[in-house]
Amino acid sequence: MTDRILLVEDDVALGQQVVETLSQAGFDPHWVQDGDAARGLNPDDYRVIVLDLMLPGTYGMDLLKRYRVKSEVPVLILSARDDTADKIRGLKLGADDYVTKPFFPEELVARIQACLRRPNLVDTERVVVGGIQIDLKAREVVASDGPLSLTPVEFEILALLARRKGSAVTRDALVDAALDPGHDASRRTLDVHISRLRGKLGANAAQLETVWGIGYRLSERP
Amino acid sequence: MKLRARLALTLSLATVSLLVLLGWAQSRWSSQLRVEALAEAALHRMDSGGRELCEANPEAWPGPQGQRRSHRRPGPPGHSFRRHRVFAYDSDLLSRNPDSPVFPPELAQQLRAGSDVATHRSEDHRRTQVAVRMPWDEGPCAVVLMRAKAPPRWFSGAVLMPAFIVAFVMILVALFSAGPVVRRVRQLTESVRNLGGGSDEPIHVDGNDEIAELGTAFEQSRRTIQAQLQSLRDREAALRNYIANTTHDVMLPLSVLQGHLVSLQQRIDAGEPLDAKAMVPSIEESQYLGSLLHNLNAVARLEASEGLAHRDSIDLNRLVERVVDRHRPIATRKQIALEGAVPEHPVEFVGDLTLLEQALGNIIQNAVRYNRPHGHVAVILDGTGDAWTLRVVDDGPGIAETDRARVLEPSFRGSEARTRHPHGMGLGLHIASDVAARHDLRLDLTDTEGGGLTVELRFSQRDT
Repeated sequence: MTDRILLVEDDVALGQQVVETLSQAGFDPHWVQDGDAARGLNPDDYRVIVLDLMLPGTYGMDLLKRYRVKSEVPVLILSARDDTADKIRGLKLGADDYVTKPFFPEELVARIQACLRRPNLVDTERVVVGGIQIDLKAREVVASDGPLSLTPVEFEILALLARRKGSAVTRDALVDAALDPGHDASRRTLDVHISRLRGKLGANAAQLETVWGIGYRLSERP
Repeated sequence: MKLRARLALTLSLATVSLLVLLGWAQSRWSSQLRVEALAEAALHRMDSGGRELCEANPEAWPGPQGQRRSHRRPGPPGHSFRRHRVFAYDSDLLSRNPDSPVFPPELAQQLRAGSDVATHRSEDHRRTQVAVRMPWDEGPCAVVLMRAKAPPRWFSGAVLMPAFIVAFVMILVALFSAGPVVRRVRQLTESVRNLGGGSDEPIHVDGNDEIAELGTAFEQSRRTIQAQLQSLRDREAALRNYIANTTHDVMLPLSVLQGHLVSLQQRIDAGEPLDAKAMVPSIEESQYLGSLLHNLNAVARLEASEGLAHRDSIDLNRLVERVVDRHRPIATRKQIALEGAVPEHPVEFVGDLTLLEQALGNIIQNAVRYNRPHGHVAVILDGTGDAWTLRVVDDGPGIAETDRARVLEPSFRGSEARTRHPHGMGLGLHIASDVAARHDLRLDLTDTEGGGLTVELRFSQRDT
């Protein structure tokens, strides 16, 4: 089922463009042009609300307050005002994030996806990243080719990357989390472990990406 | 009315009123004393043989009057009764002496009302008549009438003249003594008037009294007002400067953008096959325009010294994600890999959200803008709220060691900073440097291992 997004934006040209962008990104956008119409909507009918701060008839902040009273749905503020107080106020009133105009369509989609992803960051016992399934409690990993036999260091590396799937993790963070400081806890050693891990992942090896200047990332798709 | 005249008038009015009041009180008191003394004198006279003489020969008592020397009578000194005359009457207020006047009806009325002593002033206020009922009722000498000269009236010249003389002296004293005070008030007035005319002269009044305090208060107000005025003028100048520079600065990329678009149209008209890459310069220029406006806004705030009016707790992880996402569309189109990494736990920092975001955005934008296709830019946040580093690492052309200090000058002047840097850095890094300084952040430019530039923002609680 596609995620329903409420867009509250008074500008017709920008509204149309955003609706098109969201549709292309696989969302189901519902566009409302003025604050009064947005007042009557149930925020829980949507996965994310994209709210323009400067709306005719009502101020976006009022709408945000109204929505926050009855719902926890993520709200993304759209603002043309380069005003810190405004952004901070929005965040304090419960907005999850904001995008400052002008923005590229991809930027908006990325922020919406970040809003949707956020609750998944909480630790769970079992993490699935593409074709790789990791049981954090039983310390078992199953890839497309079947169960993997990993060393404790390899498991720690994979577990950390899986917990933060889709995000780049620095080499230093991986060294700190997985390598024994008493032994050879260096980046070079880490790279050796990664190389072995890739070998064991087989068909899923491409999911374990090297990120230039940072370290590694476990992606959903290679 | 002038201060001096007002002071003189007030003093003289107060003095005259006081003296007239005293004169009136003295007059009343003196009248009372005179009546009491006359009554006492009458009783004394009758007790000391007067009664017998009167009753023995009532037709002639007390004999010829006016030439006799008065006797010293009881009472305060000064109350002698020269030229007072005495007449005797029986209880029906009739006299046997044909020289006696008819008993004054005013006094008769008072005696009949039960008084032992009755008094009355003549209509011209020159004489006082006192009737005294003797301790006996029988005989022709039961009531004694005395006539004497009345004391001066309270509003007579004798009472008022000293009052007016004193008042006149007071006016002279007030006029004379108010001189220095008036002169200092005039000096203060003049200074305050000059202030209204735009003078920068400080307000000063000699002395350490209330007028000097007033002068000091005026001087403090003058300084406050002048400081506020200066601040307003600075703001106005900054705003005018901002508008003028914004207009100028926006025109340049706008012209470049128009040029790109026209060129694209001409190539399409000419039937030239175009790929998506042909659009990249236009997209990049439009992004540069947006970023420029944000930067100019940041400059206006920094120049007006309002940069850090807002200090809030900021989640740096979110900030990094947001800024990386903002620049990724352009990086992707330029085939540059832009990646960000943040620690697992949020790094909190107290600062100005907009300015910090703009500073990081500028560093990333420069790294992307001047990198080559298939280049890399990595943004790495590391550490905790107490000590963290934020590095933007690229493998682009870098900045020569000799140019780095200039790029990071902590303060800058608008027009100078706006002109494009020899390396095309514009005002982006200037802003980043200024924002870093205002947040007690250390900003360093170093070489990336293998080539490129690394910009590092470092915060340590111990350094602040």
